[in-house]
Amino acid sequence: MNRRLPRSIQWAAHLDFRGLTALIVTCLMISYPSATWADQVTGPPKPPLAREVFQPLKESLQLSYLELFNQAATLEFSPPQIELMRKYLKEARGYCTKQWNQKIDAYERDLYTAQAELKQRTANLSRDERKQFHCRIQNLRIQKGDAEMLVRQAIPIAYENRLAKLDVIEKWPAEKQKIEEEKRSGVYRQRRYGDVEDIGFRDVGRGQEKDIKVGRETVRQMKLAGLMPREVKNEAVQRYVTKLERKIAAHSDLRVPVQVTVLDSKEINAFALPGGFVFVQRGLLEAVEDESQLAGVLAHETAHAAARHGHRLMKRATIASVIYQAAEIGAMVLTGGVASIGAYYALQYGFYGLGMVLSLQMLGVSRECELEADQLGIQYAWNAGYDPTGFIRFFDKMATREGYVQGLSWFRTHPPFYQRMVDAEREISFLPKKENLVRQTPAFEQMKKELAKVTAQAKEDEQGRPSLLAPEQGCPAPPKVGFKPGERRIETVCPLPEY
Amino acid sequence: MPASRILRWLAPLALILLATLPLAAREASVYFTVEKDGALITGLTKKNFHLYEDGELRPFRLAQPEKPASVAVLVEYSRLSWFYFSDIVDAMDGFFQKAPEGNWYALATFDKDLHIRVDFTKLRGKITSSFNDLSMPEWSEVNTYDAVYEMLDRMNQLPGRRVLIVIGSGADTFSKVSLKDVKRKAEQANVTIYGVGAGSMLRGMYDAYLSEAERMDLLQSEAFLRMLADKTGGEAWFPRFEGAFLDVMEGVMQSLAYQYRLVYDSRIPNDGKFHKIRLEAFRVVNDRREDFKTRIREGWRS
Repeated sequence: MNRRLPRSIQWAAHLDFRGLTALIVTCLMISYPSATWADQVTGPPKPPLAREVFQPLKESLQLSYLELFNQAATLEFSPPQIELMRKYLKEARGYCTKQWNQKIDAYERDLYTAQAELKQRTANLSRDERKQFHCRIQNLRIQKGDAEMLVRQAIPIAYENRLAKLDVIEKWPAEKQKIEEEKRSGVYRQRRYGDVEDIGFRDVGRGQEKDIKVGRETVRQMKLAGLMPREVKNEAVQRYVTKLERKIAAHSDLRVPVQVTVLDSKEINAFALPGGFVFVQRGLLEAVEDESQLAGVLAHETAHAAARHGHRLMKRATIASVIYQAAEIGAMVLTGGVASIGAYYALQYGFYGLGMVLSLQMLGVSRECELEADQLGIQYAWNAGYDPTGFIRFFDKMATREGYVQGLSWFRTHPPFYQRMVDAEREISFLPKKENLVRQTPAFEQMKKELAKVTAQAKEDEQGRPSLLAPEQGCPAPPKVGFKPGERRIETVCPLPEY
Repeated sequence: MPASRILRWLAPLALILLATLPLAAREASVYFTVEKDGALITGLTKKNFHLYEDGELRPFRLAQPEKPASVAVLVEYSRLSWFYFSDIVDAMDGFFQKAPEGNWYALATFDKDLHIRVDFTKLRGKITSSFNDLSMPEWSEVNTYDAVYEMLDRMNQLPGRRVLIVIGSGADTFSKVSLKDVKRKAEQANVTIYGVGAGSMLRGMYDAYLSEAERMDLLQSEAFLRMLADKTGGEAWFPRFEGAFLDVMEGVMQSLAYQYRLVYDSRIPNDGKFHKIRLEAFRVVNDRREDFKTRIREGWRS
């Protein structure tokens, strides 16, 4: 038998059943694609619909949620057309992710090569040659950081937002009809927390006073751990936010006194610890455009404290275990330089700030609790006399214009955008009509003026911050990614075929 | 004599003159502490000091310490450190408990290479949490010389008051730079270095089993940290029991809190040589002069 087989494969004659199985399994494992489904997208997706349908549908996805809620019934797209668009958006997301993942790999390879070359030649380099190497490495790091930020943050958010808006176009008209029917029949009053006229007298979270001790201890531990940013040293700002939060709390189901602190941090965030300890970060005050938006966010946080979400989720946890170890700023952010998109996100939103330090349990953040806090928050803002759409408008701003929602305690878990927006709009529809709901106040504008001073001071402090990572000076700037959330669409970094 | 011949004679002379001419005076800022029997002395004024640069009495003024200080912690973190890792943890714990608010703090670790873990932040908790989050070290090398050299290089670019706390054994395995290079760098950079020795307890326990060569290596490691401290006006400690690390860190922070700052016009030439400075601290009580010990950098290398 050995004589009949070529010499190179004679070993195959000795294979028994086990050996043969092992060989087949090995071959299968080698040939099985290791890439994810997203990576298997081969080329850019083509528009799946005729131009007359595709273009208007695409434009509709650029509308704000509130505009879509108003216009969805008048938009005439058929379910198959919407389905094709959904498939197209998913393919586009996969394609875009793949493109940028490939770029990350390429940057990584180039970086490795440059560093290896530098190491090899380091002893014989002139000053200029060394500088050239340093610049090359520095720029590759910036480019890699930018690409990573796109893949992790910008691309998923941009497409998730569009898919949510597509859902609004498809489902909102029917949902709206259902809401109208519920209103006509009065069924809406039977929804959970439907007794909005009794806010402050109903049972939302019994035993709130027991949370005070837990909250106080958490604050103490955070301060002790050196993880609490300093307070904003501007009395006018502190006073304004305290007054607003107290007004909301007085019109809520929270029955313990609130203690408000404005923290000097650029993170766009606010959080409430159990027991009515509310912390608002400077970044949030900078980001909101009117008082009703700020009221919407504060009311959402107040709702977490009122419904004792923290208590509900951390029954078996100790305080020590729920204060996270502060996450470290990624190397891409550190080396990104101010011009990069990585640094844009990091500096703009204070990634890895308090939002990453506090446990979700402590903040009472879970999918279910988040939806409940949305509902209660909208009720509290409305009850305090604020336009309840402020919450939706701010969510929209963050998701659409800023391309940022992850990392915030009040957006951090992921009930799908669609569900949150639709639930919020439904709740607003059910609220009794009120005249003269407040959207903007002179006090808010005055606070903004005071805040500008705080921000200017903070920027000055930041500029004086020493750094061990001072970049190599005098290097040519690397090619920019060309995408800035709110200014340009995601297609600028992932061009797709048009007609 | 033709002009070219005159020039040929004059050129080297001019070069020699240029090299030896003192530079225009540059303002130097020096931090120091004053001690008596181990206790820090505060409240002294200008008349209690005499400053000498290269043996010459120099005028100076006492100034407020620059605030906030940039304090970087450089921690040995390699597989080799695993033998005395509890010392390093205790030192970090001490730092966490004793570091006052208001300064800029940064964390770097080293094994084969230097790793900047946290750039300067005022949230000192980030330093501790970042240290606690470190994964298992990959390398067994402790290239202390490289790490200290690079940190001094980076810190010397910073404005204001600069402090480096080195936590480690002081041992070095395969550094690219030599001990001499580090020594020169410490002399050039205006960074105060504090050394917190790790592994001294273990060394005490196993001293009887060490060979002469090993003992010599370990002594050299200690000497390295001491040298850094002496050169820069800092201090080095080698705690031999667990509880001492907290006191050591308190000592570092107290030393920082009670340091004087002296500003003077330095006139050392740009000759690449080391120039000594000496500070006398004294107090005259009832016509009797009482001398104090000063902890100040040994000098400058231009």
